[in-house]
Amino acid sequence: MSVAGSVTRTDVEELIYRTFLTLDARDFEGYLALWSPDLHYSVRAFSPEIRRDMVWMDLDRSGLETLFRTLGRHNSDPSPLTRHATVCTVALDVSRQQATVVSALQVFRTELDGGETQLFAVGKVHDTVTLAEGGPRLRAREIRLETRRLGIGSHIPF
Amino acid sequence: MSRNARAWAERPKFPPTHYVDTRLYTDPEIFEEERRKIFDHTWIIACHESELAAPYDYRTFRHPGGQNLVVVRGDDQVFRAFYNICPHRGNVLVQQPAGNARALTCIFHAWTFDCRGSSTGIARRKEGFQDRLDAADVGLRAVRATVGYGGFVWVNLDDEAEPLASFIGSALDILAPHISAPLEVFHYQQVVVDTNFKLWHDTNSEFYHDYMHYFNRVTGMQQPGYFERRYTPFANGHASVGSMQVQYDRYDGSSERKVGWPGLAPGGWLLVDIFPGMTFNLRTSVIRVDTVIPLAPNKVLIELRGLGLAGDTAEERAARVRDHNAIWGPFGRNLHEDLLGVRGQGKAMRDGSTGSRWVLHGREEDNTIHDEVGMRHYYATWSHFMGRSASNPFGEAP
Repeated sequence: MSVAGSVTRTDVEELIYRTFLTLDARDFEGYLALWSPDLHYSVRAFSPEIRRDMVWMDLDRSGLETLFRTLGRHNSDPSPLTRHATVCTVALDVSRQQATVVSALQVFRTELDGGETQLFAVGKVHDTVTLAEGGPRLRAREIRLETRRLGIGSHIPF
Repeated sequence: MSRNARAWAERPKFPPTHYVDTRLYTDPEIFEEERRKIFDHTWIIACHESELAAPYDYRTFRHPGGQNLVVVRGDDQVFRAFYNICPHRGNVLVQQPAGNARALTCIFHAWTFDCRGSSTGIARRKEGFQDRLDAADVGLRAVRATVGYGGFVWVNLDDEAEPLASFIGSALDILAPHISAPLEVFHYQQVVVDTNFKLWHDTNSEFYHDYMHYFNRVTGMQQPGYFERRYTPFANGHASVGSMQVQYDRYDGSSERKVGWPGLAPGGWLLVDIFPGMTFNLRTSVIRVDTVIPLAPNKVLIELRGLGLAGDTAEERAARVRDHNAIWGPFGRNLHEDLLGVRGQGKAMRDGSTGSRWVLHGREEDNTIHDEVGMRHYYATWSHFMGRSASNPFGEAP
């Protein structure tokens, strides 16, 4: 049996969840290790005000690495973000050695001072997972946000 | 040496033009007065023409004075603005932020209005009103609207206000060669932050806070030409800032911008602040325009727009979007830092009388980039509109 054929839905779900857990923990190295080398990460939102699809992030591996590497030089809100994902659908395609996954995402922000938690953003996550040698790896992620008011924003994405 | 309560409350040893009483940012009476004396009489950007590209397109706008407006592109291509209120029972007329409708129809009782604001339909009019209601008496309330300065739709609630061109004067001349080609909005974002609207405009009116931005320090402040950038004040509280060549490749992982802007030198950066709360920011490959909408003394809604050229190729547009997002997007380096700054000010000032007492605008550097003349100039105009001194708004004895 090929590697792709041995991968289960649970394996794919666990990969998805690990991506959010590593970001929550600010384990950027661990997060990047869950991606294939040719990664593509984007955040998009539709604006009913200008009736256009907006691209808010569009990064390859180099872009994500730079984002994480330079974080310490910037002034950032230290309030942690907590990402809650629910994997809704997993479509395994053994012949193409990939899976497509749709998840629902809620992101919460907890004030460092006092610990109050507020909903920060909601949206859907559309992932493409490669099932080639080495186990499942995330190849492409498109986060489609419903929330467009993100308060003071964040230097760390979802 | 730290200071006790009495010393903390003492006025700064500066001329009264060089500091501000923080009650300007917290006092409810001043806040309401600003809406009536300033926002109800000045030209404000409501939207951009590219947001209403076709006849009968409409776009709503929450005016800083508190009124709900709707802007409509007519079948004659004229942009008109109205109170977004049905004259019948006071319901919001247009519910969605943007759309296209030959008739603006109130969902409550199906009254309809055309793109000129005329009443065109009153359900069961004869049966209910007989001959006692003239349609001319129930048209929409028109608001002055005009398109200009890069295709923005400006509105003014005051029917007697000076023309837009007179209000702007020559403040936007520095940008004029660069905004003559049609522009297009590709990014629209609202930010609500607990701070006073003037504090956001202050941040856009001084560059001394580049110390907060690592990106600006390495690509700008540490590069030739930065400290030669100059402020130019204009009538009505506007101010512009001259250009330099930003060295984008000095930021880790960044490179020189792949696209530029017509007429602008590579790496160029021009900024114009328009009283009482709008900013045009042309940074090499992209224009950002901010509009502040005060919601409460310590709460502001900021509308952020990113614009490219309407004639962009797909590759050019993608490059502009990427450049925009790197510093000005919701996850961008600079926007988050600017918002952290003004949120902190809002937090420090929210208790007004016992917290932060004065804000200093005292830097003088021959009107160059770290001079705080931009803010001083703004508050001189603010004082003119309000009939109050910004450093002593309640006329207290020194």
